[in-house]
Amino acid sequence: MRNDFLPMPALVEDVIVETPTIRTFVLQLAEPMPFRAGQFVQLFLPGVGEAPFTPSSSPSEPGRIEVTVLAAGRVTAALHELAAGAEVGVRGPFGRGYPLHELEGHEVVVVGGGVGLAPLRSLLYTLFERPGFARRVSIKYGARAPQELCFRSQYADWAARPDVDVTTTIDRPSAGWNGRVGLVTTLLDGVDVDVRDACAVSCGPEIMLKFVARKLVDVGFRAEHVFLSMNRNMSCGMGICGRCNVGSRYLCKDGPDLSYAEVQAVPYALG
Amino acid sequence: MVRGITPAALAELARTLTATHDVFAPRRCGDRLVLDRLASAGAGELPWNAYRLPEPLKAIWFQPGRILARWPRRDGETAPRPRVLFGAKACDLKAVACLDRVLRDHEFKDPGWCAARESTLVVAGDCTDCAESCFCSMLGDLPYPTGLFDLCLSPAEGGYLVETGSERGERLVADHAGLFSDAAPESVERRADARAELAARVRRQNERFPVRDPFEKSVSKHDRTRIWAELAATCVECNACNMVCPTCHCFLLHDVRAGDAALRLGLWDSCFSAGHARMAGGLTPRLQLTERFRNHYQHKFVAFPRNWGITACSGCGRCIEACMGRIDKRECLHKLETRWIPSEVAQEID
Repeated sequence: MRNDFLPMPALVEDVIVETPTIRTFVLQLAEPMPFRAGQFVQLFLPGVGEAPFTPSSSPSEPGRIEVTVLAAGRVTAALHELAAGAEVGVRGPFGRGYPLHELEGHEVVVVGGGVGLAPLRSLLYTLFERPGFARRVSIKYGARAPQELCFRSQYADWAARPDVDVTTTIDRPSAGWNGRVGLVTTLLDGVDVDVRDACAVSCGPEIMLKFVARKLVDVGFRAEHVFLSMNRNMSCGMGICGRCNVGSRYLCKDGPDLSYAEVQAVPYALG
Repeated sequence: MVRGITPAALAELARTLTATHDVFAPRRCGDRLVLDRLASAGAGELPWNAYRLPEPLKAIWFQPGRILARWPRRDGETAPRPRVLFGAKACDLKAVACLDRVLRDHEFKDPGWCAARESTLVVAGDCTDCAESCFCSMLGDLPYPTGLFDLCLSPAEGGYLVETGSERGERLVADHAGLFSDAAPESVERRADARAELAARVRRQNERFPVRDPFEKSVSKHDRTRIWAELAATCVECNACNMVCPTCHCFLLHDVRAGDAALRLGLWDSCFSAGHARMAGGLTPRLQLTERFRNHYQHKFVAFPRNWGITACSGCGRCIEACMGRIDKRECLHKLETRWIPSEVAQEID
């Protein structure tokens, strides 16, 4: 019988330093692992532990995936010690992935905070690879400080695509920063899309998701069209171990992205 | 076909099986019975447990610290020795039905659980008495097995009636035909009377906790009320209720080094622990005990039936006996149904 607790070996091909606290690990998998944007994998360090990440790379390359990691806890700190050539394990993919069918034919506002842009990049690649699938892609991204903006070198390329725009902001003024200052929610005031028809997809800290969702509904988005990455401590990935539930749903199986309407139906789901 | 077996022949059967199987059976320990592995010598008759043993069956099929995987993969793992389990009661088997759904009957399968289930002969038995904490009747369940057993024993004159519940059970009886006799029709009738009588007794002892509504309704209507603080008032978060619960299956996937290799362990975990769902950044989705308490009920009585079509409570009452805060699940369920004062509804905070 297949053992889904046993990871597949993977080789760290490259480590990209994105920001002082965020690194991207380029992984060469022993076998391709086909995944949909938004599905997550468990990255395993033998004898240390495992943590869930949504690949930041395109699903069109299932044998060579990129995982972008913020050093935030025990496992992620150990991951940041890895160099090219290290052996790790990968399990997955798990979860539903982004609701692409909901996005088709609509304007899509992508709202990211900090390392939350990582899973969204996989979605962006998916949308970029299918011209015309989304009517427009508007990227709103915020980070604490200029040096914490993830994938900085790519914004210009993204914005150069037809029907794609990128706006960034940082939380507090910083020397040498001439861009916008303020939380990412400030980028949603007067957002330039048909709010009754557009969809939004957001990933970031939970407190950010809460206010992004409220703001989007305030400016006219339908709660059913706002998708939030409700990332919790997904561990087994199979709906067994019991720590990632939101109401009756296990995010590892039924998520991690839920619509704001689904989230609102669960008491205190967003604190 | 229902057969008969004497206590001496049953002990003989158990002893014979120890040659090829790990046999788990009730064993007398002081003034109570516990579930234990039967030594091959197997002294005397098997004690009869009148109701469920203190240990939930997950203790042998879903052990507190299981090896889920070895890294790197090690081929040629030896299959587990087959097992026989004596002493399972109806509530134990309902819990097995719950765990089968989570661990076996969907896209992902827990190999350890599947192998253990597959390789274990289950010799169940009727309840012939009930503990004060027994409340299977409140779940609409009965104190005698109706499925998921290979053999089912019911005490009768001169020994036990034996009913087979599977092909495997039939084979076991056929292989040891000399130990079994034909059952008298009147003992089968008497079994029905005894079963009905005990079912009525369990119902009667729980009449002080009248409930009418489905638990799903009683629990979910308190989604945003403050009743949970009252119910959890004496909870000291010792996790005992989770440990003894036959349906609780939360586990911590714990990685350890073992020489050059690594082991992936599944350790029993508790939804009452503050750190149960904590994330890397330190955020804990259910920081307050009251939220965790509500989540426990929500999972057993709302989420589980919605996801798997069965309530994740067998009414075995072990949690009631284990609780040092004297929290009685029956009383909580009764309060959840009857207490509904709109002014109690907490202000929404999100």
